[in-house]
Amino acid sequence: MKGLISVGPLRILEKSSRRGLGPGNLGALIARAGVGKSACLIHFALDKIFRQERLVHVSLKEHPEKVTSYYDVIYHDLIKALNIKDDSEYRTLIDKNRMILAYLNHSFDLRRLQANLKNLTEQLQFRPDALIVDGLDFEEAERELFEGLKTIAQESSLEIWLSALSHRHITETNERGIPHPCNKLDDLLSIILQLKPETSGLFLSLLKDHDGLGNPDISVKLDPNTFLALD
Amino acid sequence: MDINRLRNIGISAHIDSGKTTLTERILYYTKRIFAIHEVKGKDGVGATMDSMELEKERGITIASAATYCEWEGHRINIIDTPGHVDFTIEVERALRVMDGAILILCSVGGVQSQSITVDRQMNRYDVPRIAFINKCDRSGANPYKVVDQLRLKLNHNAILMQIPIGLESGFSGVVDLVSMKALYFEGKNGEVVREEEIPAKIIEEAGVKREELLDAVSMFSDDLMEAVFEESVTEDLIYEAVRKGTISRQLTPVFVGSAYKNIGIQAVLDGANRYLPSPGQVENVALDLDDNEREISLSTDSKAPVVALAFKLEVTPYGQLTYLRIYQGAIKKGHDLIITRTGKKIKVGRLVRMHADLMEDLSSAQAGDIVALFGVECRSGDTFTDGDLNYSMSSMFVPEPVISLAVTPEDNKSQHNMSKALNRFTREDPTFRSFVDQESGETIISGMGELHLEVYVERMKREFGAEVLTGMPQVAYREAITRQTLFDYTHKKQTGGAGQYGRVAGFMEASDEGNYEFINQVKGGAIPTEYLPAVNKGFQSCLKKGPTFGFPVLGMKITVNDGKSHSVDSSEMAFTKAAIGAFKQVYKKAKPVLLEPIMKLSVDGPSEFQGNVMGSINQRRGTIISSAEDGAFTAIEAEVPLAEMFGYATTLRSLTQGKAEFAMEFSRYTKVPESLSEALKGNKKKESKGEKKK
Repeated sequence: MKGLISVGPLRILEKSSRRGLGPGNLGALIARAGVGKSACLIHFALDKIFRQERLVHVSLKEHPEKVTSYYDVIYHDLIKALNIKDDSEYRTLIDKNRMILAYLNHSFDLRRLQANLKNLTEQLQFRPDALIVDGLDFEEAERELFEGLKTIAQESSLEIWLSALSHRHITETNERGIPHPCNKLDDLLSIILQLKPETSGLFLSLLKDHDGLGNPDISVKLDPNTFLALD
Repeated sequence: MDINRLRNIGISAHIDSGKTTLTERILYYTKRIFAIHEVKGKDGVGATMDSMELEKERGITIASAATYCEWEGHRINIIDTPGHVDFTIEVERALRVMDGAILILCSVGGVQSQSITVDRQMNRYDVPRIAFINKCDRSGANPYKVVDQLRLKLNHNAILMQIPIGLESGFSGVVDLVSMKALYFEGKNGEVVREEEIPAKIIEEAGVKREELLDAVSMFSDDLMEAVFEESVTEDLIYEAVRKGTISRQLTPVFVGSAYKNIGIQAVLDGANRYLPSPGQVENVALDLDDNEREISLSTDSKAPVVALAFKLEVTPYGQLTYLRIYQGAIKKGHDLIITRTGKKIKVGRLVRMHADLMEDLSSAQAGDIVALFGVECRSGDTFTDGDLNYSMSSMFVPEPVISLAVTPEDNKSQHNMSKALNRFTREDPTFRSFVDQESGETIISGMGELHLEVYVERMKREFGAEVLTGMPQVAYREAITRQTLFDYTHKKQTGGAGQYGRVAGFMEASDEGNYEFINQVKGGAIPTEYLPAVNKGFQSCLKKGPTFGFPVLGMKITVNDGKSHSVDSSEMAFTKAAIGAFKQVYKKAKPVLLEPIMKLSVDGPSEFQGNVMGSINQRRGTIISSAEDGAFTAIEAEVPLAEMFGYATTLRSLTQGKAEFAMEFSRYTKVPESLSEALKGNKKKESKGEKKK
């Protein structure tokens, strides 16, 4: 699906120094509650899937059925935006390349994730290229967890995207200007994006770009309903 | 009988945790029976609650037998329920009519997957429970670990009411943390309870555990909390607080013991009386069918109009026995009742109270009670009223059958007996279904698992004398075309006698909707209008059996846009034959493919088996969609071809030590992989050659 990047929020990564996150790296998408972190990450996921890469969507709050219905809605909007008539090929790609792992009621830990990824590889021959981890509580999680995720990313040569919940009342940033809740973890995160509703629209901006700081002025305006790029 | 002194309880847990053994002791101590027989006992008698021959043989409880007993001035109606996954409808039924339950856990195995399933079922029916950690005499027993699991895996606010005195082979009694006394169970069968001071070596531990108990239960009583501060705690204050917490389902009192070694059972009975609700303390609602199914709260007033629910049917040699829970009013012998579903009036002939397979005649029964009626024709789940109300109790949750099997009677006599048996079983058990497959002509039975069906096949043989052969059921394959293809066919027979002439032309293609569509685009009367239905009929007749694989054809769109008729020789028959000819002429060119039913599969089991389960699904050509972990449990969702699922219950059981369960339902039809499709085609050819030879 060549046109996906041109219409999706991924356009921001085209503006990053390495044109993407890359294997072995962690990336985070910061936004306040209800702004659209999950939707944006699903756009990232669909991009991977349509590039014939294998993706594991890890949901820490929602049941798989709900995650699937999120995908369905976003996929439908995408197909419509790209004016695709016969989408059977894309549907097959989703069936083939996506796996949803949910960890409900605080069931998530690294050991379990590693065991599950091992099962996927050994039992299903499903070796993921990317992981989306949605719903991880950055405030509660210990630094070791992020270090562990980084190790998994490096050892398995996959990229991991995380959603990070920010709060209006917590305005602290670190010396490099990285806001809460990624301010103490930015050494582990290769790319940090921020999704922010402004009066003029919803903007996705690049706060950290691998070894350097991102240019917050580089942003993509998104449709607040479909999260497709507007400009 | 004072309704406050009535308890309707279920005894539920996973298989082999000792439910039947516990019930046997309860009946013995309450003097309902005078000897204890063990499950799989050497005496060959079997436990009292396992009344069916098969149950006694296999040492598992299949049908839930209802019984009652009296303990310390309370009447306790008990339904002993099966623990095997395949019989969960029995558990569901028991929970539907129970006001409380005893959840039995094994002190070695702890909270196992089936305990989790049962616990979920109890939550669905808001059933307050007390827990009994059994088998404390076994090697590896650790009741404290089980209490932790109750908290972590089942989210129970579990609190020990007792601690064990010794464990494993040294298990000798329990310390009651309310009275702070040691209890020993003596006599031949533990019937004599000896109260002693707490042994010095565990007195400190008992003190700590009592503090924990008081901390937990004082949340439910201000009086108790105050008494704790003032150090004036009484036993009654604790009982009252535990009762409040239990009935509100915010607390699970935990007892320990060993049913087999006759230790701790009397305390569980005391616990049921003290902490589980009476029927008057449970809200039950019915739906008013005259008021748009508005929910109506029922009262346990015996003078109110009758509302009762048939929750279990059993066929006895003397007629149908209907187990009934009376929710409101009173039922008297000789009175009339109306079945809400049918409006049929029935007379209460024999009203009995069940004790396993023995019965005791009654002249009347009140709200809250569980009784049985004799000779009433009804279905499980029917609501009974006295005709003043048009109420229905909310329907019970009935899971869909997951497995089917073809059964063939060996002779005519067996055929007759088999139909009698199937008629009875389907009325007794809503999860058991039977039907005749229109395509194969075989009788198919379906149910909750292989064991479930196996038991019914056995019952057919033993109770009805129906000797049947069982086989693999035929998977309902279908075929469909994939390419648009033109047809132009003339059916012509004009050589002597009445002539036949008809020409049809157009194209066939796959329909988007999956249904058959017939489009008429004939212009200028090329085919006279009166013959078009015959053309349609001709095409439709071909869909019943596709020429390539011999299975019904799904999703075909036929467009007829040209043709020709003859003023004398054309007829409806000629055009029907022309359509059939056209179909056969081009069907293969339209690239037909074989379709198979794909099932949506959910497997629930302990997380440690996730890999095994995934592997088993993968081996069955399944596609895993998701895996959700919740506590120690994992639910895997997948799509799997039905053809690969036979025998899966057994595979899953062996892969997961019987700890996982699965459910599946039809999802859609999809194309069979090429290699399999060819093999099936070959089989089909062999079959049809065989038929021809015959």
